[in-house]
Amino acid sequence: MQIKILLSGDGGQGIQTIAEVISRAAFEKGLTVSFIPNYGLEQRGGVSLAFIKIGDQEIVYPKFSNPDILLIMSDQSRQRVLEYISKSKKIIDIKDYNFYLQEKKINSKNYNIFFLGFLTKMLEKEKIYLAEEIFLALEKKLSSKPNWEENKKAFALGLSFNF
Amino acid sequence: MQNNKKQFLTGHEVVVQAALDAGAESMFGYPITPTCEILSGWFESGKKCLQTEDEIAAGFGVCGAVLAGEKSFTASSGPGHILLQDSFSMAEAMRLPVVLIVGQRGGPSSGTVIYSQQEVILACFGGNGEGMRLVYSPSNLSELYLLTRRAFNEAWKYRYPAIVLTDGYTLKIRQNVDFDQFKKIENIPPISLIPENKIVHWPNIYTAEEELNIVLENTKNDFENIAKEIVSFESKEIEDAEILLIAHGIVGAVTKIAVEELRKQNIKVGLFRPITLRPFPKQELDKICGWKKIKKIVVVESSFGQLARIVRDQLAPEIDASFDYLQKPGLGIEPEEVIEFVKNIKI
Amino acid sequence: MSENLTTPIGRQAKFCPGCGHPIVLMMLQRILKQHNLEAQAVLGLDIGCSLLAWNYLPINTFQTHHGRVVPTMVGFKRARKNSLAIAYVGDGGAYAIGWQSLFHAALRDEPVLVIVVNNTVYGMTGGQSAPTTLSGQKTPTSPDGFTGNTMYGPEILHQVSNPEAFIARTAVNDPKQMLDFLDKAIKTQQAGHFALIEFLSFCPTNWRTKGIDTVKFLEERLKSVFKVGEIK
Repeated sequence: MQIKILLSGDGGQGIQTIAEVISRAAFEKGLTVSFIPNYGLEQRGGVSLAFIKIGDQEIVYPKFSNPDILLIMSDQSRQRVLEYISKSKKIIDIKDYNFYLQEKKINSKNYNIFFLGFLTKMLEKEKIYLAEEIFLALEKKLSSKPNWEENKKAFALGLSFNF
Repeated sequence: MQNNKKQFLTGHEVVVQAALDAGAESMFGYPITPTCEILSGWFESGKKCLQTEDEIAAGFGVCGAVLAGEKSFTASSGPGHILLQDSFSMAEAMRLPVVLIVGQRGGPSSGTVIYSQQEVILACFGGNGEGMRLVYSPSNLSELYLLTRRAFNEAWKYRYPAIVLTDGYTLKIRQNVDFDQFKKIENIPPISLIPENKIVHWPNIYTAEEELNIVLENTKNDFENIAKEIVSFESKEIEDAEILLIAHGIVGAVTKIAVEELRKQNIKVGLFRPITLRPFPKQELDKICGWKKIKKIVVVESSFGQLARIVRDQLAPEIDASFDYLQKPGLGIEPEEVIEFVKNIKI
Repeated sequence: MSENLTTPIGRQAKFCPGCGHPIVLMMLQRILKQHNLEAQAVLGLDIGCSLLAWNYLPINTFQTHHGRVVPTMVGFKRARKNSLAIAYVGDGGAYAIGWQSLFHAALRDEPVLVIVVNNTVYGMTGGQSAPTTLSGQKTPTSPDGFTGNTMYGPEILHQVSNPEAFIARTAVNDPKQMLDFLDKAIKTQQAGHFALIEFLSFCPTNWRTKGIDTVKFLEERLKSVFKVGEIK
């Protein structure tokens, strides 16, 4: 078993944060994980990518060109991952959810956590792990930070999104 | 940090842990991506650390600490690696056990801050010298740990400067690492090169060509003598291989996956992965290539042929296998690309 | 005096006749002996005429690279705190190729003693102009007379160094002041601070001076441009 996830967004959107939560949860579960961040020279505003591989066997090479799941969180990052789009099995593109995000009044600061919830649901379906396991890793990382309540709400909304 | 179970670590953290376990007391460094987190990680460890004004000062600071008998190291990349060759050539001449961790990034010049295998020639032969240094190329995080430990040990045991030549991917990746397997490594203790109880007058520049020549001959003889104790490599599926893939570092690991896959498709392909680039496992490669079965050698690397240059130089001239190259300078290589390439080879 | 000076451990001096280096080295040895610091002292040498001191004194000595002795001794001192770390360097090594490291060693107040021997030229390579070359001075790289600005190393370093650091300039024809400054510099390192002494020195070979003219050049030309004394 191995699943390849590519997360993409703008620097500052929290791509690396949710990548860390996903891969940390997999590690805690005893799975084999590799996570490699990839971003440009800008500290802010550039495209931020995270390549994650989760499985039950040794992972040799951290990158890939054919993600099982591709998350696109901004227009800029959509351009950057153009060559991956045709090779991806499942694509979650923010442009398809803008209406929902606005309807539920989710603050743009919490978009990453909404999509984390969304991803969690997909990973649960793939039988990679349970929602609680990811939530635990998320709680560990963010519960002491401001906006925890909003993040919790965003996670729940992502998790319960009917796709 | 616990040492008795699997940990979820980055390459940076693995290097810091290995240097601590090796008994390193100090680091001198200048921030450069992708090695910054080794410097900040070392600061966090509480050991002696100096952020210098540039990599020149970092390298010579390490030389000074080593002369005083302290295990010390630095880490850098690309343009910083170039500057470090200044001090490294002094370390080569004086045989100072300086340890350098190189995280290769794209080049030439500032290139990218991400990944390449383009610092092979610089690591092996940089400076105005003869490449009398130890260069290790790890293919994963466990090996990064192991080879960092070896770099310290072998540098101090044999008195040659040592480079752990890794890359931005390997350093930035976060992965499960099992330290249990490394518990038994013992440390070679440092020695005081400038002793406190007797007087040493140590030249590093010579009046006559003959004086220097004698020193160089000795250094080379020693290097050749210790080579058999140091050289290491991995080979796979070589017994009946007709195509031999040669790759190092993370590309070596990728190539191994490709070999496994190609074997499933009944393609007679094998792998030779040098783990030490200096000294190079020449005799072992000659032996494998000398078998009549090897018809084609394919060097796979993320550069325009830096490893290939070394392979061609080291390979015995009577070996008549033809060469082919899969080269992607500054870019990672995926197993599928290697598989595709090999399937298109006509022997 | 000169027997002790040229053959402290039975070696022959390789310096040109009339060179200022042996005077500086002799003073250094005298003060180390006086403080019983010969065993603790470690002398790192830059490349240039400085390198000729490699087997000159009965103390631990090694050669490094041109411009790199200061960072090497910074590393040495950090690893061996009880040593007396001395970086011995010419004006080119200190103020041109090694300036970045020297500047930052002063800025960080590294406890090393830097001895800069200033003869206004690159002596070993044939007397080319240096940062310290005087206005109008003729050298192989300023054949019509030097037109650049002259660099005042100690004065600049004073601006960035710790108040407890010791920074001074003396000249090789003033033994009393040389010994006094070396004494203060050693005590400064022992107190954990940076010290630098610039020695105005002779280079009759490249100045193309003979006998008393060499002393005159130092007294009349160098000292009129470079002020001797502690930089305060």
